[in-house]
Amino acid sequence: MQRTRFSLFVGLAVLGLIVGSWGMVQRLIHGLNPVAFGSYVPWGLWVAFYLLFLGLSAGAFLVTILAYVFDMERFHRLGRLSAYTVLIVLVCEVIFITLDLGRMSRIYRFLVTPNFNSLMTWMFVLFNAMLIVYALKTFFLIRGDLVAWSKDPQRKGRGFYRLLALGKSSYGPDDYGRDYRIVHGLSLISLPVGLLFYGTNGAFFAILMNRPLWNSALTPLLFIVAAVLSGGALIAFLTHVFLKDDELVTSLGRAVLYCLLVFLFLEALQFFVGYQANVLSVVAALNLIAFGDYWWTFWIFHLGLGSFIPLLILLFQKDSPGAVAWACALIVLTFLAVRFNFVIPDLAVYKLEGLEHTFYHPRLRTHYTPNVNEWLVSVWVISLGLLIFLLGSRWLPVINSDQRGGMKHAH
Amino acid sequence: MGTTLPSEDVLVRMQRDLKRALQRDPKHVRWTMVIDQGKCTGCHACTLGCVAENKLPPGVVYRPVIEEEVGRYPAVRRRFLPRPCMHCQNPPCTKVCPVTATYANAQGVVVVDYNRCIGCRYCLVACPYSARTSDFGEWYTKETPDAPSVLLGRTAAAQSYEAHPSTEYGRRWPQRGTGSPIGNARKCHFCLHRLSAGMLPACVTTCTARATFFGDRNDPESLVYHLLGSPRVFVLKPELGTHPAVYYLK
Ligand code: SF4
Ligand code: SF4
Repeated sequence: MQRTRFSLFVGLAVLGLIVGSWGMVQRLIHGLNPVAFGSYVPWGLWVAFYLLFLGLSAGAFLVTILAYVFDMERFHRLGRLSAYTVLIVLVCEVIFITLDLGRMSRIYRFLVTPNFNSLMTWMFVLFNAMLIVYALKTFFLIRGDLVAWSKDPQRKGRGFYRLLALGKSSYGPDDYGRDYRIVHGLSLISLPVGLLFYGTNGAFFAILMNRPLWNSALTPLLFIVAAVLSGGALIAFLTHVFLKDDELVTSLGRAVLYCLLVFLFLEALQFFVGYQANVLSVVAALNLIAFGDYWWTFWIFHLGLGSFIPLLILLFQKDSPGAVAWACALIVLTFLAVRFNFVIPDLAVYKLEGLEHTFYHPRLRTHYTPNVNEWLVSVWVISLGLLIFLLGSRWLPVINSDQRGGMKHAH
Repeated sequence: MGTTLPSEDVLVRMQRDLKRALQRDPKHVRWTMVIDQGKCTGCHACTLGCVAENKLPPGVVYRPVIEEEVGRYPAVRRRFLPRPCMHCQNPPCTKVCPVTATYANAQGVVVVDYNRCIGCRYCLVACPYSARTSDFGEWYTKETPDAPSVLLGRTAAAQSYEAHPSTEYGRRWPQRGTGSPIGNARKCHFCLHRLSAGMLPACVTTCTARATFFGDRNDPESLVYHLLGSPRVFVLKPELGTHPAVYYLK
């Protein structure tokens, strides 16, 4: 990334942190009081963002699997960037979901009194497993370069790199071979862990029997496809920006195109079956998505900007890496609309007829519009993720190392 | 006259039932509520009785009364459906709680451990009856200006009601500030704290139409046991298999 563009993005991230800190202060002092959701729509923007980030991590996850489990050479170049991306995205995810807890200081309860019948407990377990695996994977992928950088007289902060390399001072072919085997082993572990993690997140919603839109075997599948689509699009975009590998970008673009088609097909199925079955609550929720207050997020953001335009680009400009990258960026940027339209409509339909006409209070309504505080907190978390990512891309050997030592497969 | 009016108030009978139940082995008691829709007048006294008893803040409600209009003009009627927590015998809410903060106690009452709940609201989403609400830390006196006089200002108003500790689950919850139950999931608990003191739930005693009945359904002498034999009995959403311990009479 060019220096000016880099500085611009760092500036943006810092600005985001400053602006968003107002929301964070409100959140930390007043708990969940400054949010707009209530008891009938108990999850809001932050859960939508959680799901967005969940999806974004999946594409990077897949790349690391292709690179180190199936040993596909062409993905090796992307390996460390992907592992690092998964790590950052997971961190953003956990911040979003922790902030969403009414009593976040009790998060240790997951360890003390876990309920293994709850899918949320499994999400916690699998999330931590992913975090540990990806932290280790990133470490072993970049260790060679960390050692090389710690000895490079022209490089500032050599002590820091030595610390990160855990004091290791030499790195030879034996180390490389061993680290590669470790990365391979970790990738083997992360394959079932990751699949379970992404599947569990879909099942988390699908098992709720009173939620007609979610309570379907299609949900976990839709989740996996959505994750691969948005995550794949992110990786294609990052490949273009950081690695400038045109061939890789265009082939990733083709994969994204297929995912997009499958996703739209599944979504169309959901609407078709819902309207045909004509179950009152399902139709109400679908109507909310298509014709409710937020119709524009569905038609304009998701279907227009996030599907139709990228589809055209990916079909007719498939050999132009720049166009493909921007099509992918559009998908990523508009995917929040998909997540929002997944979380809110099912919650926003009263589960008992007549409940809305009794005991009025803003927290007992199904109408939900995220408020400024929720947006500010979101801006803060995203800016934090962006800043860590950018600093890492500059100060850690996660993109292109300078070929002095390190793992050649990662270059 | 003696043939048409009951010889004693049902509250007196239920009070006797309660005394008997409290002497039984707690393991064998199954607390049950029966609500007679034919008698409910939709006065909302139970809702407010509950709010006052449990010092519920704004936006938290345990027992709203749902009003329905049935039929077509001119043959229109109104029907009322008080909706406490159903204390499901197969509760979907407890299964999803990641930290075992909500569970059915020995008498089948589904409770929330306020000191354990992390406030994830998964149980709110899982409950098919929307019976749970989250405490967002609201205050009735939030926008009230604090007048200089201590007698008239917000602080004084709050102290007379809002800052009064609630006694849910037999504990004195501290004055509302930032501690639990703020941030927790909250719901009807059949007034366990009153039961243990030999009192019927607040909604039962405040019901102006004597439409809400309470007792141990395992006790063949109890009023609720008899009511459950009625052909008018139904439960909400039976198709979900939640097996509510709150029954309705049509
Ligand atoms: S009514 Fe809802 S909160 Fe009450 S026990 Fe059943 S599922 Fe749980
Ligand atoms: S809100 Fe509390 S009681 Fe409900 S599922 Fe979460 S931790 Fe359990």
